[in-house]
Amino acid sequence: MDIYLPIAEVSVNAPLLVALGALVGFISGLFGIGGGFLMTPVLVFLGIPPVVAVASMSTHVAASSMSSVISYGRRRAVDFRMGGVLAAGGVVGAVLGVELFRWLRLLGQADLVVALSYLVFLGVIGGLMLWESAGAILRRRANAPPRPRRDRRPPWLYGLPLKMRFPSSRLYISPIPPVALGAFVGVLSAIMGVGGGFVLVPAMVYVLRMPAGVVVGTSLFQIIITTALTGVLQAGRNQTVDVVLAGLLLLGGVLGAQFGARASSRFRAEELRALLAFIVLMVGLRMGLGLFFTPQEPFVLMSGAAG
Amino acid sequence: MITLPPQPTQPAISAALTQTTVRVNSDFRGDRIVLYGAVFDPARTPSDVVVIVRGPDEPIRIARKTRVAGVWVNSRPVVFQGAPGFYIAASTRPLDDIARFGVLRRLGAGVDHLAFNAPDEQRVETRYGVRDMVVSRLGADYLDWRNAVVRLKEAQGLYAVDEHGVRFVDRGLFRAEIALPAEAPIGRYEARILLFQHGQPVSEKDRTLTVEQVGVERALYLWAHQRPWSYGLAAMAFALGAGWAASAAFRRD
Repeated sequence: MDIYLPIAEVSVNAPLLVALGALVGFISGLFGIGGGFLMTPVLVFLGIPPVVAVASMSTHVAASSMSSVISYGRRRAVDFRMGGVLAAGGVVGAVLGVELFRWLRLLGQADLVVALSYLVFLGVIGGLMLWESAGAILRRRANAPPRPRRDRRPPWLYGLPLKMRFPSSRLYISPIPPVALGAFVGVLSAIMGVGGGFVLVPAMVYVLRMPAGVVVGTSLFQIIITTALTGVLQAGRNQTVDVVLAGLLLLGGVLGAQFGARASSRFRAEELRALLAFIVLMVGLRMGLGLFFTPQEPFVLMSGAAG
Repeated sequence: MITLPPQPTQPAISAALTQTTVRVNSDFRGDRIVLYGAVFDPARTPSDVVVIVRGPDEPIRIARKTRVAGVWVNSRPVVFQGAPGFYIAASTRPLDDIARFGVLRRLGAGVDHLAFNAPDEQRVETRYGVRDMVVSRLGADYLDWRNAVVRLKEAQGLYAVDEHGVRFVDRGLFRAEIALPAEAPIGRYEARILLFQHGQPVSEKDRTLTVEQVGVERALYLWAHQRPWSYGLAAMAFALGAGWAASAAFRRD
């Protein structure tokens, strides 16, 4: 059963999109991530114009984050103050990102920057996660004690001015690093069509040293604000948000996410992390390595001729 | 006494589309447009029929991949103006057998004879003492670029040449079928039906076809393009509401 997407102006198989939404939703519920980094490449592969895929994903990511953040909020696992500071940076980043994307699209370099961003960010983060989780699994197999966590707080982070208290995170730090982090993730969200959780979560754990319990909920809270703004800006500036596409993905996505969240309790944390790291690495390589092979077709048509 | 209409002395062609509007709704998967026509020729000269369907013009941006430091990157895009968003030339025989190069070029018949160019890449200068010569910065590669546009559009099903797309079903009566892919642009299409005798066009008819979005699709399309900000806000409110509703529905107490 095919359905015609009014903004993308292509016809797609509706049950396939719902199933895809469910699969990515399941993965996102399982690992507590947005899943945009998986969905955007698959949509492009299915023939949706990349600019429409990237922009429509922001509505999808906002909706799935909304559905998860409520349950995190009930468990008091969201630091709204930290989330607000991150989001303040995210707003700046999103505005810059949408303008940057528009400029790249006019230059014809949007595809290159999207592919390179996937290769660099997913490759590096997937590689680090795989290394870390594989080490944890091996140590557990060998019955070695887990490596003691270094709690030495980096001095550059604590030497900055304008310190603020974040009671839920038990932190007393300057808002400059979180604002910068939020801005960076906002730019990524506009360019890659992702929520940015895969950058935000490790940065909150290893750089800001936030307690693990509030990290995922806070990251989701910031992602809602950033992607909601990105989506509105993409619709307003580039007219590339397709609600029919987003709606179909959502339909499967919310169901999948709930089942994924339930299934996650059956696996060990480090095994889940290793699996996620593997997926992240594969997507990054798949998107990025194409840049190094000699293309079969040396010419490429650019969509959105009017710019 | 029945008065017969005066017999035409000149050969003439007549044609009609079986549908003049194509409605694009949620289950649109492309369409087939059938065209019927008749050739009136008392002299019974051997005739060929060419049907050219052209969609609304759309500027085309195309880039070439070049290798920079081991990575394949897009060159600066070249914009071609005046290219149709959809183009098909259907005929009773291969076009090259029907008419000569110059005739086809003048009529813009066949993808090789489509008139489109890249004005931003061109400049007018004086060369070899000849004034106002049009010189393309693409130089000798110009044909590569042009061929690439045609090749990529053909791969999308948007440009086509059907050498046997027009068939005579009875003496003087012909039929043509035009395949419209789901990616076909929205807008006004022109169908030109040409009668060729001895390699020259002797009669011509023009018909129009409208491809339009209807129903919810049209409403969404217009909303997204005419009031993009309110569309964006509504889309986001819908998405957040759906997320909230899902979480409420699956709440485990």
